[in-house]
Amino acid sequence: MKKLDKIIIGILLLGGFVSIFLNDMLPYPHIKGPEELVYAVNQEGRYISTDEVAKMIMEKDPSLLLIDIRSPQEYEKFTLEGAMNIPADSLMNPANRDYLDQDVYTTVLFSNGSSAADEAWLMLKSYGYEGNKVMKGGLNEWYRTILKPIKPADEELTAELEKQYLFRKGAQIYFTGAQIIGNSAPKKASKPSKPIVKRKKKEVSGGCG
Amino acid sequence: MIGPLYPQGLLNPEYNLLIGFLIGIGFGFLLEAAGFTNTRKLAGVFYGYDATVIKVFFTAAVTALLGLFIMHNMGIIDVTLTFYPKTFWIATLIGGAIMGLGFIIGGFCPGTSLSAAATGKIDAWVFIGGVMLGIFGFIFTYESLWEKLRGMGKMGKVDIAQWLGIREGIFIFLFVLLSVASFYVFQKWQDAWKNKLSKEDIDELGL
Repeated sequence: MKKLDKIIIGILLLGGFVSIFLNDMLPYPHIKGPEELVYAVNQEGRYISTDEVAKMIMEKDPSLLLIDIRSPQEYEKFTLEGAMNIPADSLMNPANRDYLDQDVYTTVLFSNGSSAADEAWLMLKSYGYEGNKVMKGGLNEWYRTILKPIKPADEELTAELEKQYLFRKGAQIYFTGAQIIGNSAPKKASKPSKPIVKRKKKEVSGGCG
Repeated sequence: MIGPLYPQGLLNPEYNLLIGFLIGIGFGFLLEAAGFTNTRKLAGVFYGYDATVIKVFFTAAVTALLGLFIMHNMGIIDVTLTFYPKTFWIATLIGGAIMGLGFIIGGFCPGTSLSAAATGKIDAWVFIGGVMLGIFGFIFTYESLWEKLRGMGKMGKVDIAQWLGIREGIFIFLFVLLSVASFYVFQKWQDAWKNKLSKEDIDELGL
């Protein structure tokens, strides 16, 4: 064996030996330092209103992917039409990455209020997961605005508010099956089969040797 | 470029192509310089009289492996941004067997055939013609013959260390040991051949 061969083999063996003591390869957190964190938190663009979500559901918008981050028990009781369940504690499960980090769908996270979905969004964001939104106000807001919309008082009724109210009334009929007068219990949302999401980030395909 | 600059959007597609072009020139140049455009060199791996190809490919793989792993741990490069393909073990096994046959019959791998063609070897041009025939043959018979085979043995994205349930560092160390052992064995094998061959044979084989 030549001297150079021995040196190269020595370096490789040394590198291999060093590797034993190193950690497994995990994704890097993409948010570094408090400034970036504050900036991310203050991005209002992550919110989507219940009205917008309702509109997308009613229009059967194929780009909408609703993700219920509450527990499976809560999900069983009530959820939005077409939503899939990824409980908050399994968000980082690699199997779910296809749903939570892609740019094909508008992924909307929701929970009962805003804060749990906000936290989930921030965690995903900090690992570089893109393309997620948070339904502002969560299911509580959904109930207030879509399932039981309140008619604005006459004195503050502007054309815009009236339009919004009419839309919500229409959405209420769609989601609850309520008659125009009177209410009935919310219709149980249909449980969807898992949508097939193909991760379509800027993933470059490899070549051959 | 497979990663990590391009997937992060740090390079536009034009620069990406340019870098690919430059790396390609370097790759072709070094293939020629290392004698890989000689069919006997590649076939030598299969007959056992020349271990260069094995040594070069294992060294390249191990260097890249160690470099990426250590740099990832030092916070220099995010390996998760690079690409690796999904595993279809049955399809890969069959494809690998076909490729190995092509290697030993033709004496080129797809990359070296292009380098050799550039140096004016007629057999390399014929080989490329064969590659094209194979590609078009595959395309036109894909739906009838190959579509099922392509998805066989689907395992998703597999990391061998995770699959074996050991730490990545341990696996890397074992892999380095394995490749060093293979250098040693192949070198012995090659030396044994050299003692058997006459001077003329060695010249003929370009050793």
